[in-house]
Amino acid sequence: MPEMPPATLLAALGSYNLLPAIVFLPTRRRCDKAASEAAFARREATDERREARREFMLGFVAENPEIRGHRHWDTIVRGGVASHHAGHMPAWKLVIEKLMSAGLLDAIFATATVAAGVDFPARTVVLTGADARTGNGWRQLTASELQQMTGRAGRRGRDNVGFIVAAPGLHQDPQRIADLLRAPPDPLVSQFRATYTTLLNLLDAYGSFAQVRDIAEKSFAHRDVADRVARLEVECAEAETRIQKKLRQAGCDLPASTALGLERLVSARARLQETRPQTRAEVLHRWLDEVVQPGRVVGIGRSGRRLVMVTEKRDGNIRGIREDGRSASLALGRIGRVYAPLYRLREGAIDEAFEEIHTRGKDLALPEPRLRDAHAEESESLKALDDLIDSFVPSETGAEKRLRCTQALWSAMDDAEVVNRARRRIEAARDDVWQPFEQRARILSLFGYIDFEAEKVRERGKWLADLHIDRPLLVGEALESGIFKSLDFAQLASAMAALSADEDRDYGELELGDSLVKSLSQFEDIGFRVATEEWKYGVEPTPDLNFSAAGAAAYWATGTDWPTLVHDTGAEEGDLFRMLSRTGEALLQIAGLKRSHPEAARLAAVAADAVLREPVR
Amino acid sequence: MRRREEQRGRGQRRRHVGARDSGSNKQHHDRVPPAARDVKKLLEGIGSPPAGIFQPDPFQLEALAALEFEDVLVTAPTGSGKTWIAREEIRRLLAAGRRAWYTTPLKALTNSKYQEFGEAFGVDQVGILTGDRKEHTDAPLIVGTTEIYRNQLFDSLRGFGEVNADLVVLDEAHYLADEDRGHVWEEAIILTPPRIRLLLLSATIGNADEFAKWISEVRGVHCGVVRRPGARPVPLRSAFLLPDRRLLPLLDERGRFNPEIDNMAAKGDRGSRRNW
Repeated sequence: MPEMPPATLLAALGSYNLLPAIVFLPTRRRCDKAASEAAFARREATDERREARREFMLGFVAENPEIRGHRHWDTIVRGGVASHHAGHMPAWKLVIEKLMSAGLLDAIFATATVAAGVDFPARTVVLTGADARTGNGWRQLTASELQQMTGRAGRRGRDNVGFIVAAPGLHQDPQRIADLLRAPPDPLVSQFRATYTTLLNLLDAYGSFAQVRDIAEKSFAHRDVADRVARLEVECAEAETRIQKKLRQAGCDLPASTALGLERLVSARARLQETRPQTRAEVLHRWLDEVVQPGRVVGIGRSGRRLVMVTEKRDGNIRGIREDGRSASLALGRIGRVYAPLYRLREGAIDEAFEEIHTRGKDLALPEPRLRDAHAEESESLKALDDLIDSFVPSETGAEKRLRCTQALWSAMDDAEVVNRARRRIEAARDDVWQPFEQRARILSLFGYIDFEAEKVRERGKWLADLHIDRPLLVGEALESGIFKSLDFAQLASAMAALSADEDRDYGELELGDSLVKSLSQFEDIGFRVATEEWKYGVEPTPDLNFSAAGAAAYWATGTDWPTLVHDTGAEEGDLFRMLSRTGEALLQIAGLKRSHPEAARLAAVAADAVLREPVR
Repeated sequence: MRRREEQRGRGQRRRHVGARDSGSNKQHHDRVPPAARDVKKLLEGIGSPPAGIFQPDPFQLEALAALEFEDVLVTAPTGSGKTWIAREEIRRLLAAGRRAWYTTPLKALTNSKYQEFGEAFGVDQVGILTGDRKEHTDAPLIVGTTEIYRNQLFDSLRGFGEVNADLVVLDEAHYLADEDRGHVWEEAIILTPPRIRLLLLSATIGNADEFAKWISEVRGVHCGVVRRPGARPVPLRSAFLLPDRRLLPLLDERGRFNPEIDNMAAKGDRGSRRNW
């Protein structure tokens, strides 16, 4: 079903007395186009509110001069309709919102992302489709999104009834709109996550990981973890009570922890017994797996005469280089001898290694383990455990009492297992919460911002904690590397823009000067170094620098006027505004580091002034 | 186009809906059958209520009463008067010489609240704190972004100053579910000292009780839930506009999808519903 031309849609709504309306459209461009088309179709119509609109808008020009020349000025004044989306400047959107509340507009064409809480209701909300546009296609609207839109239908105190009108459109599905209207609201779902800033601040405040962990465990996301832990704790407590009762009834004055300790020993003994090697081959294989490693020379076959330098070991196989220089790959089990020295894997060194093995081979071979030895070791461990188990009941107790105590302890083993298992599970559940914080703590420790062992924030971590920006670690490393010293204020502004901007948004393709490219590539190097370590610790990589934002910000910071910036970048005003405003905020954060980085702070303050000027406020 | 004064109260008098159009639209109307009973019913009562004196809704008063002794989570749709609750509570506190913090998720919203509260309480009573704007920071009422408030909590935990407030309002509290920034709301709730009263204003959510229970647990202060009964301040009706500009109710009398819409589509020459 094709979409209705906007003017026809408004005429139809008008005929049912359903204006003013907010018409939701999927893209910014469609909003602008619909507003222009509707205004054009209505250009001859008489509307006494035209003059009122002009007056009203002129009232804003004094404070927001850029409004006067806006390309949609006529659309609003003459047509009584407007387009409203994130591509427009906040000041412009505000004018439209005020015009709407003053009853001077018939329709607003808006995208679904109309900012939350910005209050501009209308009598009618028009939905032209049941889908929402995404970066790469379409997806179905959610109940919450629909509620956000329909929440704007019906003006309190000005309408008896509000209306939702599903209008024809390519992605329209009235049945689905009806279903969504009746759907219960979506539940609030936690998005709690670990960040460097939170970790640094909490660790500095409390001085121990345990307390940071306590706070992480309070989050809404982990309330189910907390519930699970609480249930396990109850289970624990009940089983412990049963143990105590059994011991008391046996007239045994040992604490419940004795039974728990005994259970741990007993299950350790069982595990040891299970993993004890039964055959010589098994002993040998374990030994080879342990000692064969890249850089060692091994002898192949029973005689062990053919030598191979190991270069790689994986899944019970090795790869290596033979004396004739050819490569070999074989199973661990074929190795008959292993030589102790570890050589570096360089060409010359390999030859020297073979030479050494030939001359002193006998002394260098590692002794092979024997099954008997292995068993002796294991048996010793088992015996030690047995002794410990036997000594659990103090020997000074009388023989009869001792027997009763021992029996009571053994009868409590099932409950003790329940307690120990529950405790292990509690530990594991709490680890899930803590792990993302620990990963970040290790990374911060690696870069010297905290002392992991001492659980302390170092001096440089204290100022990093104060830096409330996206990607603080990258900026911290840039500050420490001293590259700020080689930048001028515009380059600093452009670098901060490159990492504050949305990763995939295009702010035009202005040419970047050589020195700018050089400074950005320095940032990129630091970013790569940080991302490499993050990746190692399993922290999701940070987004790439946005070079088009860098170009636009440098252009703006060097004094270009707003219309020229908008024209030359070809970017949308609202996007430029948000990007520059975020860049300015990040610069102000750096400007606050007067004590730790006075030079960078001064430079950032100058850059912030250059960025945060009209109309970016 | 129609003037606004004309729009007021027009609905009741109107007999032939859709009759006012002219020009090219006329052809359509010749084909349209006389306005169906359904449509008349659908549009019944359209228009503006008589201007009256503002009367707070019971849920607003309920929230104010609850705030005297506990934290409160208010869930209601946009435009149903959540801000009124916050404003009245702030008015009461300021009159008693006490202090409040009002957080919003957006800079634009913060700016507009700053203006709104400045008009309500006097400009010297209100300060603003955002990433790039700091004015009257000693005022008894501070309006700012949730991030800045959370940062102040961090600072006070680290021994740099105190969060000087008796009430903290978290507007748009459902931002807790925002993928990027939601964690900031959780941190703000967890770290706000229990001596400070919390007022959370949220859109309608499916698990308000569970949310409030969590707040009560982490803060050790009971958090009550106040909902707007009947969900919407202005009743809502829904309709489907056919390509030939006829209007049909989207839902039937029992609140289910109106089967008439499918029938109309099947009869129409514009293809089956699949193409919608």
